[in-house]
Amino acid sequence: MAPTLGAAELVVAVRSDSEIGTLSKKEVVDIFLGRFRQLPGGQQAEPLDQATQSPERQAFYSALINKTSAEINAYWARLLFSGRVTPPRVMNTPEKMLEELINNPRAIGYVDKARLDRRLRVVFDISTP
Amino acid sequence: MKTITVRRFVISCGFLLALLGYQPVAHALESDSESSLSFNGFGTLGATRSSSREAGFVRELSQPHGSAGEWRSEVDSLFGLQANWQVSNHLALISQVISRYHLGSSYSPEVMWAFARWEPTGNTSIRVGRLGTDFYMFSDSRQVGYSYLTVRPSTDFFGVLPFSHIDGADAQLSIPVAGGILRGKAHLGWMDETLPLAERRWDLSGSRMLGGSLTYQRGAWTVRASSSELRFKHNLPIDELTDGLRQAAVMFPQASAAADALNVAGSRSRFHSLGGVYDDGPVQVQLMISRVQHTTTAFQDWWAGYLLAGYRIGEFTPFVGYSWIRSDKKKLTTGIPDGMAPALDTLNSATRTVLSDSRSDQHTTSIGVRWDFASNLDLKVQFDAIRGTSESLFPFRNERAGWNGKTNVLTFVMDFIF
Repeated sequence: MAPTLGAAELVVAVRSDSEIGTLSKKEVVDIFLGRFRQLPGGQQAEPLDQATQSPERQAFYSALINKTSAEINAYWARLLFSGRVTPPRVMNTPEKMLEELINNPRAIGYVDKARLDRRLRVVFDISTP
Repeated sequence: MKTITVRRFVISCGFLLALLGYQPVAHALESDSESSLSFNGFGTLGATRSSSREAGFVRELSQPHGSAGEWRSEVDSLFGLQANWQVSNHLALISQVISRYHLGSSYSPEVMWAFARWEPTGNTSIRVGRLGTDFYMFSDSRQVGYSYLTVRPSTDFFGVLPFSHIDGADAQLSIPVAGGILRGKAHLGWMDETLPLAERRWDLSGSRMLGGSLTYQRGAWTVRASSSELRFKHNLPIDELTDGLRQAAVMFPQASAAADALNVAGSRSRFHSLGGVYDDGPVQVQLMISRVQHTTTAFQDWWAGYLLAGYRIGEFTPFVGYSWIRSDKKKLTTGIPDGMAPALDTLNSATRTVLSDSRSDQHTTSIGVRWDFASNLDLKVQFDAIRGTSESLFPFRNERAGWNGKTNVLTFVMDFIF
């Protein structure tokens, strides 16, 4: 069994100079479920997922919309195989996630609070509903 | 001829995509992954048994034979592969091939999609090529079993749709409205599919589809209204009937008008639908209603709908559903009195057969459970009680004289994605 991770330890973060400002829960849902990814400046936000079976991914979607990993996979199967929206790119490890967030100003991802540093900025805190 | 050209084109594009695609993949691992190629697949292994021996239960009208009292794997089994090449942040090339039991009792692969998707901004999308017709909610993902709760989309609602893709384009715009997202979409394209009809084939190629939809999504709610018009290019394969009626018109002038009324080429069918979905955590509820009208007398107009509700408990999601389809009979008189001559009687009976063949009058009560037993795998079992009149022929295949419109369908499937 993978170690469980409480939602209280997860935050949604971007690179510190990203044009993505503080987000509401609804905006986070819209970006990660591919409903609406347009940023105020006209650019597209690029959401990143952690590995499919990772405790981070399970905790994130469970806290955000009360959905299991299987339900999120089924949701993306529908959108992917109908050729509508591209699912969030998967970062296989938390290290890859941090690296991509730091390299890509349009990227947005969820990480363990403990991994934050000055190069990243929190735009939504899952633990505060 | 046209079909072959399109296929060649699509296949060539696929090869090109694969050849060009490998480069960016290697590159993607190093850089910030602006460009990437991915291959994904989906499939269903199913066993389906309909209790009545008097009519073949099919998943949709593209299937020439169905289950009539025996276990069949053909009805619900299929396999699909998709290549996605994200060329840049704004452009993606997507191609999908499906192998399933269909026309000619074959599993020959069909190119379902092959299109370019251009997203100039985060809220607009334009797709050009061969693409899914989502003129009903979920109709463009009805082959992807893993994406829904039931073993198959409601046959009363989706099974009577004779097409899966168009060669054309669609455009979509999403705007935030009152705390939700409003999505407008328009599509235009031509078909290339062929339908089995008894031992014959009806060529749908060149038929034009034009339509659009409006979707509003807010929180757990999604509401969608759509309307599409289909203009058929070819007639039903009943030339000997219509030719016969025209010859008989020398003596019975009304027979000529009857032949014209059976024309499908140039006729129009309109598909209207209204749907609502409530999806909140463990709860899923869907309600959809459609109205279909045909200008030709050869097809009966129908109302159809379904209600589906499921509730997740751990890895299991039990569900119940109710669906219905009911068509309105159309009248057509050939003007030929019965009993004049055997050949003329045949024209009358063939006319009656054509008119009654599109009759649907049934409702289905379903109960089942989906078990997400492993990552990207599910098992489902479902029981459908179909209750209709003996005249309900349209959703079935190979009906026999004893058909009473009632059958029970038991289905086991395993769905997977990768």
